[in-house]
Amino acid sequence: MLNYVWLGLVVIGILTAAGRDLYDSIENVYGNERSFPVHIEEQTGPGEWNAWCTANELQRKFSGIENTEDTTRFVLSFARQSSTAGVLRPESGAPAILLTVQESFGDNGSIPCRITSDSSRTGLVYVSFSPIRFVYLKRVTNAALDAAALAVKIALGLIGIMALWLGVMKVAEEAGIIAIIARAVRPITTRLFSDIPEDHPAIGAMIMNISANMLGLGNAATPFGLKAMEELDKLNKHAGTATNAMVTFLALNTSCVTLVPATAIAVRAATGSSDPAIIIGTTFLTSLVATVFAVVFAKVFQRLSVFRVREKEAS
Amino acid sequence: MSILREIVTIISVLAIPGLILFFLVYGQFKRVRVYEAVVEGGKEGFTIAVKIIPYLVAMLVGIAIFRASGAMDFLIAGLQPLTELIGFPAEAMPMALMRPLSGSGSLGIMSEILKTYGPDSFIGVLTSTLMGSTETTFYVIAVYFGAVNVRNTRHALPTGLLADFVSFLAALFFVKLLFF
Repeated sequence: MLNYVWLGLVVIGILTAAGRDLYDSIENVYGNERSFPVHIEEQTGPGEWNAWCTANELQRKFSGIENTEDTTRFVLSFARQSSTAGVLRPESGAPAILLTVQESFGDNGSIPCRITSDSSRTGLVYVSFSPIRFVYLKRVTNAALDAAALAVKIALGLIGIMALWLGVMKVAEEAGIIAIIARAVRPITTRLFSDIPEDHPAIGAMIMNISANMLGLGNAATPFGLKAMEELDKLNKHAGTATNAMVTFLALNTSCVTLVPATAIAVRAATGSSDPAIIIGTTFLTSLVATVFAVVFAKVFQRLSVFRVREKEAS
Repeated sequence: MSILREIVTIISVLAIPGLILFFLVYGQFKRVRVYEAVVEGGKEGFTIAVKIIPYLVAMLVGIAIFRASGAMDFLIAGLQPLTELIGFPAEAMPMALMRPLSGSGSLGIMSEILKTYGPDSFIGVLTSTLMGSTETTFYVIAVYFGAVNVRNTRHALPTGLLADFVSFLAALFFVKLLFF
């Protein structure tokens, strides 16, 4: 299932991007080859000017439509590099399409342009951009590369927290605390995880993970959770394939009953809510219902033949 | 209610220092060589984190491609009639779809929605509840299964996504019931 969903994300993503780029170039959404006037004002440095253009001029450039009356001004800065080449830089408040153009020319925020006609004496310079193509495909490429780098950053960031909590966990294990926790919740866990031996260390780690999640302590929850997965994997007869207990645990984890939705409350406070913590009640009830359903789904799906452990994959 | 809220907040602040203190002191009491055990257990941290990398790269790249292409907008538009049928507000749809896919993405959408509609509006409370009550299913699957090298995740994804769907309906129900 994950296999096809993942493939779907990638294929649909790339095809959508290609399709939109094709549409944009057929419709000439970026008005390639069309020039537009830039109004020059005072000089700010050698070869540099403050400038502006109007909404209707931009619309004529990008959509080819002539008859609009909107003369809202957008502030730009303009620099001439030679008699035929210059650089435009939109200032704050620029329309979305100009920002997209800016983005398609890279990170430094300036748009290289050709000067097609220059009547500096009247304060008008006509410019056109070099053809803009493949906006979405470029975005997809950048997003993919950035995501790969981000994934490594996240994983490496986990090392410290993991080392700390796995260390503390080890003390708890040797002192017998984990076993005590496991014994305390035995009535529940024997029903939820019928294929795990009672008092198995996995149970203690799972309980720690779920408790940490309830309190909104995401940082501490992950190490406990991964420890629990390791312990569950020791009982796995088919390496590389999920066991029923693993899926049930993940179902509990992702829909986890939440007492303190820490992140959501923080964002609410930051956006000026009169009572940021008002969502504690709804969050608790929602997650409670979701958790019950998650366990039921996990238990029902594990019996379906589609999700059966395939013997040939076992090693 | 406000006393309960106070208690919950205090617990969440005290939990980590309290837990560390209790584990270490109890361990010492049980004659565990505390420092040695912490160092010994911590060694695994590096291997587990490194093991996760390829799983996380594949998952985040797949989701990033899907998001950057704008396919999400089409998906939201396509699901519109369906969500109108169950009375789920269209404004909160981007959040509902992004929540299982990306933690940072849904955080961005949530801030955006709260700024636009106000944190105490119906849309605002619903979005906040969605944010608080579910996890980033795809991320959790990548990280947790990555740590034990599980590639065939069997029914994990359908279970997680269906549970997320139940969350959306439950959030809608409870927010309407309690506040609006």
